[in-house]
Amino acid sequence: MPLDSDQLLHAYRQMKTIRLFEERLHDEIKTGEIGGFTHLYAGQEAVAVGICMQLTTEDKIVSTHRGHGHCIAKGCDVIGMMKEIYGRAGGLCKGRAGSMHIADLDVGMLGANGIVGGGAPQAVGAALAARIDGKGRVGVAFSGDGACNQGTTFEAMNLAVVTKAPAIFVFENNHYSEHTGDAYAVGTADDIASRAEAFGMRAWRADGCDFFSTYDAFAELLEHVRGGNGPAAIELDTERYFGHFEGDPQRYRGKGELDRIRAERDCLTAFREKVRMEGSVTHAALDQVDEDVAALIDDAVAQARADAEPDPANVADDVYADYF
Amino acid sequence: MTTLTPFTMPKWGIEMAEGTIAEWMVAENAPFTRGTVLTLIETDKITNEVEAEKDGRFVRIIAEAGQSYPVGALLAVLSDGGEASAAEIDALVASFRPSESGFDPEASSTPSPPSAPPATSDAAATDIDPALASPTAIQEARRLGVDLAQVQGSGRNGRVFAQDVHQTAYPSPSVSLAGPFPATPPSSVLSTPVARRLAALNSVDLSSVAGSGARGKVKRDDVLAVLKQTGAEAPSPPAPDMSAAPAGDHAAHFDVVPMSSMRRTIARRLTEAKQQIPHFYVRRRVRADRLLALRGAIQGERPSVNDFLIRACALALMEVPALNIQVHDKEMHRFSGADIAVAVATDRGLVTPILFGADDLSLTDIHGRMASLAQRARTGKLRPEEFTGGSFSISNLGGFGVEQFDAIINPPQGAILAVGAARPEPVDDDGAIRIVPVLHLSLSCDHRAIDGADGGRFMAALAKLIEQPHLL
Amino acid sequence: MAIMNIREAIVATLHAEMERDPDILLLGEDVVGGNGTAGGPEAIGGIWGTSPGLWAKFGPERVIDTPISESAIIGAAAGAALSGKRPVAELMFADFVGVSLDQIWNQMAKFRYMFGGKARCPAVVRLVYGAGMQTAAQHSQSVYAMLTAMPGLKVVLPTTPADAKGLLTEALRGDDPVMFFEHKTLYGVKGEVPDGDHRQRFGEARVVREGGDATIVACGRMVNFSEKAADKLAVDGIGVDLLDLRTTSPLDEDAILESVEQTGRLIVVDESPPRCSLAADIAAMVTERAFTSLKAPPAMVTAPHSPVPFARSLERAWVPSPQKIEDAVRRVLAFPGRSGQ
Repeated sequence: MPLDSDQLLHAYRQMKTIRLFEERLHDEIKTGEIGGFTHLYAGQEAVAVGICMQLTTEDKIVSTHRGHGHCIAKGCDVIGMMKEIYGRAGGLCKGRAGSMHIADLDVGMLGANGIVGGGAPQAVGAALAARIDGKGRVGVAFSGDGACNQGTTFEAMNLAVVTKAPAIFVFENNHYSEHTGDAYAVGTADDIASRAEAFGMRAWRADGCDFFSTYDAFAELLEHVRGGNGPAAIELDTERYFGHFEGDPQRYRGKGELDRIRAERDCLTAFREKVRMEGSVTHAALDQVDEDVAALIDDAVAQARADAEPDPANVADDVYADYF
Repeated sequence: MTTLTPFTMPKWGIEMAEGTIAEWMVAENAPFTRGTVLTLIETDKITNEVEAEKDGRFVRIIAEAGQSYPVGALLAVLSDGGEASAAEIDALVASFRPSESGFDPEASSTPSPPSAPPATSDAAATDIDPALASPTAIQEARRLGVDLAQVQGSGRNGRVFAQDVHQTAYPSPSVSLAGPFPATPPSSVLSTPVARRLAALNSVDLSSVAGSGARGKVKRDDVLAVLKQTGAEAPSPPAPDMSAAPAGDHAAHFDVVPMSSMRRTIARRLTEAKQQIPHFYVRRRVRADRLLALRGAIQGERPSVNDFLIRACALALMEVPALNIQVHDKEMHRFSGADIAVAVATDRGLVTPILFGADDLSLTDIHGRMASLAQRARTGKLRPEEFTGGSFSISNLGGFGVEQFDAIINPPQGAILAVGAARPEPVDDDGAIRIVPVLHLSLSCDHRAIDGADGGRFMAALAKLIEQPHLL
Repeated sequence: MAIMNIREAIVATLHAEMERDPDILLLGEDVVGGNGTAGGPEAIGGIWGTSPGLWAKFGPERVIDTPISESAIIGAAAGAALSGKRPVAELMFADFVGVSLDQIWNQMAKFRYMFGGKARCPAVVRLVYGAGMQTAAQHSQSVYAMLTAMPGLKVVLPTTPADAKGLLTEALRGDDPVMFFEHKTLYGVKGEVPDGDHRQRFGEARVVREGGDATIVACGRMVNFSEKAADKLAVDGIGVDLLDLRTTSPLDEDAILESVEQTGRLIVVDESPPRCSLAADIAAMVTERAFTSLKAPPAMVTAPHSPVPFARSLERAWVPSPQKIEDAVRRVLAFPGRSGQ
């Protein structure tokens, strides 16, 4: 079913929000105001948005260390995220998480994850829980081409198959597991989805730099999983615009590689081009979104900067629900 | 057989001092079962029910409804169920001592058991909300006169433990700092840091030392063994300031002061004493917590710790007369009373006024006389007969934070006791480790007239008196 | 003697030892870096810069870039060690012990014992650990205590470039599995490094400061913090024996006990939560074996019982600081009173 103009504008707004959020962070991190490791999602926006806009808040996702895109697409508050990344008291996780562990359980975002491969088994657990609840909800694991090599991911896929859990394994192949190429590190680099098929589930393949390709493939997949057919997987071929983490000199990139992928593999450009051809959304409307999003990100940074640092006296709060 | 126990006014909260019996809910001699409400007690904050902890009956109800009683007062006599004769009940009532009596100096003259029976103190401890403090902390706070409300608790939600009470009650020690040491060079020989330090200080080649530790590691004792073999002195800890100026530089930095006649007398007498008297030393550590608590409980003018020690020495000398002597060449003079010399530091030097017949003096008397003697010693107004004679001396350097020292006998006396400061130390308290103030005592005896066993007996008697100060 | 930092000392030692012993191999994530990319191999040399030049010199058979597969990395090291090689496996973050724990805990630690003393498992696992860089709950932990608790593992924590060289050399020449902890904030620490063959035996604490009033026992970054505290205390005439444990298994119990016997006061500093920690272990050992020498209860300066937080203000509150160490020393000196000096 073709998307109406509201849905298209929403998709564009989400992708644009992720893009500007990440590009702004890339600049702000250089000021030294943001500590720790920050892994940016820019370039992969079509994946997060193409998938998450088809999920409800009751569907659960587990994310990766590169989790900002998944958070925004799943509906996390952008200002709360920015505050979190700045390590402020008003952050989504009270400043305890930082970039790497942002979570918002209220919108079904079970957490970014500092451990590569840490999330996939949890998505199976979310799926098993959803099956008990009987509302047709699913658990989605985002994994990269790095996590597809972790034993936990394999164990999770097999567990999902044998339990027929409504789990979805999303493999975002951005071609770099940290600083090593997928051609070296993944034995089936040109076909990660085949691993899922080998475990006994159906797999889809799509272009992760094209919103519509991702959206359509995932729509089919979701119907399959919501239909009670057990788990499924999808592999998205996508691109990482920045380094593994901010500060990564990216010496492993080829000459002109970054310029080329930005020119040829930009989901936002492709989206604008497609809606212009179809005439479904005016460029003026998209420009207005660009303006709104830029204002939102400005506001988020300003609010994050102005927010207080967490009170050190609270350092050991929230370790347990109930201890003594 | 019927067991009788006292039923006393409970202590709810650390501020509760007394309670009023609102109503007795059971009658005398009526049997009741565990959980029965026995009485209603009002405080200025709450009215509370007291439930029976076990089956039993009141064989006598003493407290009257509507009347107030202090915490710990005897309200009734409980039986575990059986009947009891009036004589048995009277005996319990007569022997009852409220647990709150504390270290009342007036009360200390009545004989009481050396320590409260455990059952009593347990009962007292449970009177306070156990969420506020541990039972031992409550007991210790009571014993040391510490207000639990002022104690910074280290437990969950600020719950007070015994060590917290002790840290509130006791002062910080005046630590004489050893300070930083110069770095010793690293060694290629497997060795402990202290062994390396010792070796460097004493110019021992570590590679020549046989190590007794794992894999031949050279330990402190290995270096000490080598030093002993080579006849070197056992090393003292390194001086804090290793860069002290060489001796020659001191030449220009002293004034020549002639000795006063008093100083010369002191010098002569002590030289003779040290050279001619075969001193031997008997040392003992004695817990002083009860003595300090007893002293702390005294209202008004308090005798000093030293006054207590004078009294204790006097009584101990009566118990061990072998020490209560003077030594004169081929004779020993045994004394019937304890004439105790007390060393007093004055501007002009050491003076030892004598408290004659100290065994017959009360603490208050000792305190008064010592104050007068010390005052006149400092102003040089002692009459000669006031510092001549005596059978025994006490020298107390505790005021300077000295832990322990040995004194030279003041001839013709037979012995002298050296007293250090009371410092907190762990002691074995009936199987439990407790940190309490401990005195280090050192007795110097003239071996010509006194044997080791006598010294030991005297110290045992003295320790008993200090540790059970109600005997004083 | 050459002046270098800890990172350089590790790189130099790996080069020298791999040259000396053809059985040594290195494996880990991005230890070469850039494999399978347009930039090509050796674009990284480890994200911590601890393995540059090794791949070019010793080739892909001995310098192996791995996928992100920590269980397989450690397990492969265990197997190679059982097969007569001397693998060095790198965990980019010590926290990833959580991913690979079985291969460490149930496998390499136990081979020698389970196999009747016949097996040799000379594997060196290099783990990058510690808080202080806002790397949050899953990239900041100091997991040395739990590995110290496991019989069969040796646990090493260099704090100087000389020790980095000496201890790594010792690890590579021994026959037991060694957990080699590198604090992420200490790589840049500079110092003199002995030339030539330099081995530092395990179980021998380093004396960092000497003094007679208290004994501070520390390891890793806490040694540096303790030095700062010791310098401030020295101004007031308070002298401390500061012991850098170098290895927590084996533990130089003799050095700790002898020092405490002299000073009567113990402060243990540990960059981890207090429960079942190294601090608790040492405090218990001293309480048990030097009770009569103690003038005050041992003090533990540790992190709170919580994960490592992200925010700067929280992380600073979490990490034991020089100020907290100094305060602890003064508290112990004031015992039983409460007043600090």
